[in-house]
Amino acid sequence: MSRIVREATVAWRGSLSRGSGVASAGTGAFELPIDLPSRIGETVDRTSPEELLAAAHAGCYATSLAGEIARAGGKVETLDVRCTVTMDEVEGKGHLIVSSELDVAGRAEGIDEAGFENAVHAADDGCSFSALIRASASVSVRAHLQAS
Amino acid sequence: MAAERRAAVTWNGDLMSGSGTIDEVGSGAFGPLDVSWPARSEEASGGKTSPEELIAAAHASCFSMALSGGLAKAGNAPERLQTSAAVTFVPGTGITKIALTVRGTVPGLDADAFREAAEDAKKNCPVSQALAGVPEITLDAQLA
Repeated sequence: MSRIVREATVAWRGSLSRGSGVASAGTGAFELPIDLPSRIGETVDRTSPEELLAAAHAGCYATSLAGEIARAGGKVETLDVRCTVTMDEVEGKGHLIVSSELDVAGRAEGIDEAGFENAVHAADDGCSFSALIRASASVSVRAHLQAS
Repeated sequence: MAAERRAAVTWNGDLMSGSGTIDEVGSGAFGPLDVSWPARSEEASGGKTSPEELIAAAHASCFSMALSGGLAKAGNAPERLQTSAAVTFVPGTGITKIALTVRGTVPGLDADAFREAAEDAKKNCPVSQALAGVPEITLDAQLA
């Protein structure tokens, strides 16, 4: 079985509150500035660990659902997946990622509502990232099939 | 105060031959970024990102912030931290390992104290805690 390694690097300069960093993708797909104010306050065109996780979860779930719909005999036209990751201060534990919410609108042929609903659940089970963060945060999926 | 961060992905077609786009993120900092199953599950990524690469970026940045904060709190603010996270993904199994590597320039701090602060950041940063289910998370921390 193939083992795939994906790497990203961060160069951080200075203190937490006034410093800043740049996160670079090993594939070259992105190079992004990060800092603390955009992580916990207003985002000013800067990403944050939690936003990167939201993108990862949406991407993981979308590929998983595309696979499940095909397995059920359906043909995917488009899947729109939105993910919201929430970090909160938990008493005695500091900042924790408390939830990841997925919102899915799917357009597919050859699959009915019930089949789509099954695929939505199977995709959550099959998305490795859902399983990982479910250990410490709540994961929810709201999904609906749009008429194609 | 809770901080919410959002991202949206559109996927077109089936898993093997279809592809997706991370259309936008709430901050506007990036997007669109292409993703596909072959780019995720094969050695050659073709310059496309993947959930695992985004997790690597999330973990490296969360760890760097936690370490920077911890060092400053102990009176040794870092000049520079260079962190990398390598996420190992086995299709069908999931994420099996994350290797964190950090090289720090921290005036007035010895190697042991730096390693200790780094272990603390690895244990406590929010992304580490969210990813605690990963079977193996390693850390190599040295002064530059």
